[in-house]
Amino acid sequence: MGCFFSKKSKRKPEKEQAETTTDEEAPKQYSWDKREKVDPKDYMLTGLKDETVGRLPGTLSGQQFAIQDCENCNIYVFDHSATITIDDCTNCRLFLGPVKGSVFFRDCKDCKCVVACQQFRTRDCKKMEVFLSCATQPIIESSSGMRFGCFQYYYPELAFQFKDASLSIFNNNWSNIHDFTPVSGETNWSLLPEDTAVQDCVPLPDTDGFKAVRVSTEASRSIVPITSGQRRKNSDESCLFVFFAGDYTTANARKLTDEMVGKGFILVQTKEVSMRPEDANRVFHQNAEDYTSLIEKGPVVALEFNGEGAVEACRSMASDVFSSAKVYVSENKASACRDVDNFFNFADMQMGI
Amino acid sequence: MGLLSILRKLKSAPDQEVRILLLGLDNAGKTTLLKQLASEDISHITPTQGFNIKSVQSQGFKLNVWDIGGQRKIRPYWRNYFENTDVLIYVIDSADRKRFEETGQELAELLDEEKLSGVPVLIFANKQDLLTAAPASEIAEGLNLHTIRDRIWQIQSCSALSGEGVQDGMNWVCKNVNAKKK
Repeated sequence: MGCFFSKKSKRKPEKEQAETTTDEEAPKQYSWDKREKVDPKDYMLTGLKDETVGRLPGTLSGQQFAIQDCENCNIYVFDHSATITIDDCTNCRLFLGPVKGSVFFRDCKDCKCVVACQQFRTRDCKKMEVFLSCATQPIIESSSGMRFGCFQYYYPELAFQFKDASLSIFNNNWSNIHDFTPVSGETNWSLLPEDTAVQDCVPLPDTDGFKAVRVSTEASRSIVPITSGQRRKNSDESCLFVFFAGDYTTANARKLTDEMVGKGFILVQTKEVSMRPEDANRVFHQNAEDYTSLIEKGPVVALEFNGEGAVEACRSMASDVFSSAKVYVSENKASACRDVDNFFNFADMQMGI
Repeated sequence: MGLLSILRKLKSAPDQEVRILLLGLDNAGKTTLLKQLASEDISHITPTQGFNIKSVQSQGFKLNVWDIGGQRKIRPYWRNYFENTDVLIYVIDSADRKRFEETGQELAELLDEEKLSGVPVLIFANKQDLLTAAPASEIAEGLNLHTIRDRIWQIQSCSALSGEGVQDGMNWVCKNVNAKKK
């Protein structure tokens, strides 16, 4: 008995006969059969050397993109996309705007990039520097000399592109990398020094067209808040600050961050996550009922600040600046430690598979 | 036949349990497919470090779906999951032309495995939502699927993200659940 295919006689009459080049069951028409065919080359940069190339805002609009065989290029993808693969590139500097799916580097070396994505993957890469905003845990495989820093970039269209790519600026796992091929006695990845200047790695565009995009690499202007992540904490005092869903949640979180950082505190991590009533019990304990109605309104934005006096500073911000917003702030230094653990452990579980 | 299976038969219409193995290269979309089958949120999926399992009721069957991580380094562990597989689902990223050869190679090796001998295989030509995705016919040709003689197989184009095409593939699976060739 040879290969057995689904019976043609069971096919419903209203299914159109699509063109078939194999003798499998005549496939029904899907949306991809009906849409206009495109030339893959329009969504690809390939074989370029010593050039400045890329895509301006509004020219990709959520489609996929591929970059391959480029050397010594400055590549600026100033738009949101579905997924980007980068193959066999050497000595390139890249900006990859918000990617709804995965960014996958293969066989690349000596590249420096600023990337925002849902998933970050590498295989067979060497000596790369990545300023990253990644919604899930980044992974590397058979790669070495990989160095990571926090995404730090601004241009006017960027905030909307994050929304278009369904990426939250508050969900950034840039500093905890999973290595599929660890080598005992060595580390294949490390964190970039905190004072590394982004524009020294990925220069500001200086050619016509790309220059028109008003880029800034200043920390205070970054669309993604700069977080210290897994870097060593200076103090054993942290504070949890939670904004419940509302019209100004994002603006409030930015304002709080600016004020706290201005006072010398460190923003360790942030999360934007939906909570259910049972989660409120686990996280907020005693006063859980107060928050149940608030969490039903939408996802919360939580921030962890670190530094001596962080709790007091957060509490006075809550009463002075955010008195009309719905917030939760740690009560004291002792309970703050538990708060932070409870909240971010919950968030990690929620956002895992 | 053990006591438990006798008891199961005595229960009215127990669902037949089907063991499905979900394999493919890393970044193919296996976990997105798994979550889609379970009607769960697919907006925040993380690269699989080990494996994921879900049980899904479908057309009178209880499908136990094993989604195994596909990085090159951990493919040697796939064989730990071969035993007692009723159907193999192999997922391909139809838009990643650079890795067609690699995925073809892995599929060919799977079809050569003693422990998977005769097991029906559904190939999902995934990521059809992407503009430059190769059509299923092109993938079938490139993979020489027509040379498969030792088991029943089907190729199905789909987008695990949108769900389009997924049910059609699973309909084939449910129809051929007991078609393992000795």
